[in-house]
Amino acid sequence: MTDVPAHLPHRYPFLLVDRVLEREPGVRVVAEKLVTFSEPQLQGHFPERPLMPGVLLLEMLAQAGGFLEPEPLHGAAIFLAGVQEARFKAPALPGDRLRLEVHAEGAFAGMMKLRGTVSCEGRELCTATLLVKRL
Amino acid sequence: MSDLKLRVKEMIIERLKLEGMTPAQIEDQAPLFGDGLGLDSIDALELVLGIEQVFGVKIEDEAAGLKAFKSVQALTDFIAEHTQA
Repeated sequence: MTDVPAHLPHRYPFLLVDRVLEREPGVRVVAEKLVTFSEPQLQGHFPERPLMPGVLLLEMLAQAGGFLEPEPLHGAAIFLAGVQEARFKAPALPGDRLRLEVHAEGAFAGMMKLRGTVSCEGRELCTATLLVKRL
Repeated sequence: MSDLKLRVKEMIIERLKLEGMTPAQIEDQAPLFGDGLGLDSIDALELVLGIEQVFGVKIEDEAAGLKAFKSVQALTDFIAEHTQA
């Protein structure tokens, strides 16, 4: 199984991938994130109605996209360069097992375009196209 | 304007969502990046994907991109060169 912290430089409270299920570098990644009541962001978003902020679903997809890179990303500078056609269809809630699926659409000169979907039990919660730049 | 050049300009406008721009407004010799159309590195990737999709021509690396993206004329020549035979 892929060692997540060995590949991504992100750490608490911002490591948003728990497990990698399928991985074909440069092509496709399927990963998982488990949402719990104890997520730091949910303490304030919202105290009476905890739900994952939509921007964090995008971040989950970007982090899952990190596994498209064959080599670990420690020491690499990687930035989100663009978000296109993002749709949020339903909220991610405590108890949800989120499936993060990303496909590489192409890359040129350190810039990569990927299409991602966050789903839970077969239901799409979020779809987006992301541009990620590696310096 | 050659048919291919017109299609290249239409692809650029469509792919980069240069709304309100017409093919006639894009100069053949103007650089695509920097001073000319003022495109950036995100646009470069969009163009690489568009060229592959519309013309079936792959721009493999930055060296090829440097040559192909000099101007619309250079890009048209590059595509013509790689679709022959």
